Amino acid sequence: MNRILLAGLVRLAITLSVIAAVILAVLIPFALPHEHPGAVIAAFLLGPLSSLRHLGNVAEYATPIAFTGLAATIVFRSGLFNLGIESGVFLGGLAATTAALLLPSFGPFTPLVAIIAGAVVGSLSCIIPGELRLRWEAPEMVTSLVLNFAILYAGVFFLNYYLRDPAAGSLMSYRIPADAKLDRLLPGTRLNSGAIVALVACLAGGVWLYFTRSGLNLRIVGQGPVFASHLGLPSRRIIMQAQLVGGLIAGMAGAIQVLGLYPRFSWTQLPGLGWTGIIIAILARENPFYVVPAALFLGYLQVGGDFLARDIGIPSEVVGLVTAAIMLTVTATAIFQHPAVLRLIRRIRQAEGTR
Amino acid sequence: MTDLISIVTDPATFATVLRVMTPLLVAALGILISDRAGVFNLGMEGMMLTGALAGVLVSAWTGSAWLGLLAAIIAGGLIGALMAVAVNGLGANLIITGIAVNLAASSGTTLALFFATGDKGMSGALKSGVMPSLDLPFIEDIPGIGPLVSGHNVLTYAALLAVPLVSIMMARTPFGLRIRAVGVDPKAAATVGISVKLIQLQALILSGMLGGMAGAYLSMGYVSWFAQDMTAGRGFIAIAIEVMGMATAWGTLAATVVIAIAETSAITMQTFGLPNELMQMIPYVVPIIILTVWTARGRAKRAAHR
Repeated sequence: MNRILLAGLVRLAITLSVIAAVILAVLIPFALPHEHPGAVIAAFLLGPLSSLRHLGNVAEYATPIAFTGLAATIVFRSGLFNLGIESGVFLGGLAATTAALLLPSFGPFTPLVAIIAGAVVGSLSCIIPGELRLRWEAPEMVTSLVLNFAILYAGVFFLNYYLRDPAAGSLMSYRIPADAKLDRLLPGTRLNSGAIVALVACLAGGVWLYFTRSGLNLRIVGQGPVFASHLGLPSRRIIMQAQLVGGLIAGMAGAIQVLGLYPRFSWTQLPGLGWTGIIIAILARENPFYVVPAALFLGYLQVGGDFLARDIGIPSEVVGLVTAAIMLTVTATAIFQHPAVLRLIRRIRQAEGTR
Repeated sequence: MTDLISIVTDPATFATVLRVMTPLLVAALGILISDRAGVFNLGMEGMMLTGALAGVLVSAWTGSAWLGLLAAIIAGGLIGALMAVAVNGLGANLIITGIAVNLAASSGTTLALFFATGDKGMSGALKSGVMPSLDLPFIEDIPGIGPLVSGHNVLTYAALLAVPLVSIMMARTPFGLRIRAVGVDPKAAATVGISVKLIQLQALILSGMLGGMAGAYLSMGYVSWFAQDMTAGRGFIAIAIEVMGMATAWGTLAATVVIAIAETSAITMQTFGLPNELMQMIPYVVPIIILTVWTARGRAKRAAHR
């Protein structure tokens, strides 16, 4: 057990040092033209850690992307490359707003009802490409990619014709009633009770995937479809189950984001949280337990970007460049499957084993 | 009804179809080349965006639209080379690389625009060029056909010309044969002495060059500005088009025409007072339906043969 842990630590150490190198490599060209390049780097790396409020901002950013990271993890584990999570978030936010505005108040359960509505409607974005794939073999990556935009425009139509507040300046819904909003946890931030739900959901997802029979079945179907069919597993149902669960979580992400943060629903573009979810799933190596730290890490980068924008005047889009570079390097087999690394890990395992 | 007929027969409608088609066709042909080489280019959206910005910046600095186009093509090609290095050099996942390219391009173009103009949203302050329209000699004088065929943007003709060129390149040249060999079976290709990495690098560079050109059309074809995320998902529609066209140049042309007509009718139907947002859905719903019907028919055929 000890040597496996140590071998895992080697991988973790490599991952962390690669990430650190990438952050510096991207930031230094932006920092050098400034009077104090060190201050630029420090603002980015240390700013988010400088106070409790900023740590709260990190958790606030991490909340929706932990959900979408979990959704992407579950969907990808089924072996389908379904990108519907992106519009699932949009649809979830829209449906939750609709429920909050049109349904009567359920007292303290109002947010719960709205979130369930968001999750159920949002799940369509993953179910449709999954169903088209399983029933008619339509390539799910392509159909989900364009379906995202179809759902976006359908949603904007709905917003414009049914939810739009004519008194508001631009295209946005009526004010979301106060009793549908989520409780704020930390003054000065928008951190809300959704963060707790996200944490619990990721842990539950991990338990499901690694400690239950149905989670094991899902992993088998995703990794070895042929093996799964020899085992007699009902692959079709298991795959659809994963699309449903992933879609529900994506919808929930959108619902919690809108109810927790915004006074009104005003998305007229895809929010991009689904794409970030894919990045998180990759960083977390498609393991739900690692989704929370991965989401916190991206939240940390985002707050660091806000510091750059506010204190230094470099647009926070720098974070996008950093994230893209990290995506490339953490999936790089040239680094993680490098013979020297594999040899080191093997040596650690053997050395500990002979003791 | 007479309104509808007059719209369909109006040369302006034809021009709109061509205008919508041009970037989609060029981008889809770029995806085709990468797809046939076994390195499906999901980063097309990002390449187009980068090309669009590079074109505007360089044409504003040099005062020449043609140099802007050249810069756009080079920028796209560079990203293609970068993708090839990431996939074949670093061993990064192909799909992830494409997503990373899109993310980096979206952030990177915003940053570059900010540092060049001080504005994050639009390049309005820059005086960038527009690619010229081309009046075809003799043909423009033919009554009836002349006004339809002549007078379009030079990039539109380039896009249409690219269809037979790509088709011939893929089917009749040694380079095209190597691309197809690598795409079908890289190991077999390697055993007959084809360098898989080199061919995939070349294919991705070509793909990126076409992507850059498609982007240049967006920012220099009929407008003369760049806006944040102005590609608005066209790179993704191009992916759907390439898959609908079954990875052949002529099939891609046919699929592009279908999507362009869908989008054009969406634009014209808005003038009849139909909700704008629902019309915008059409070009995204059509590929889903067509792809599903085709794959379902393909499966039924295979089942019948058994």
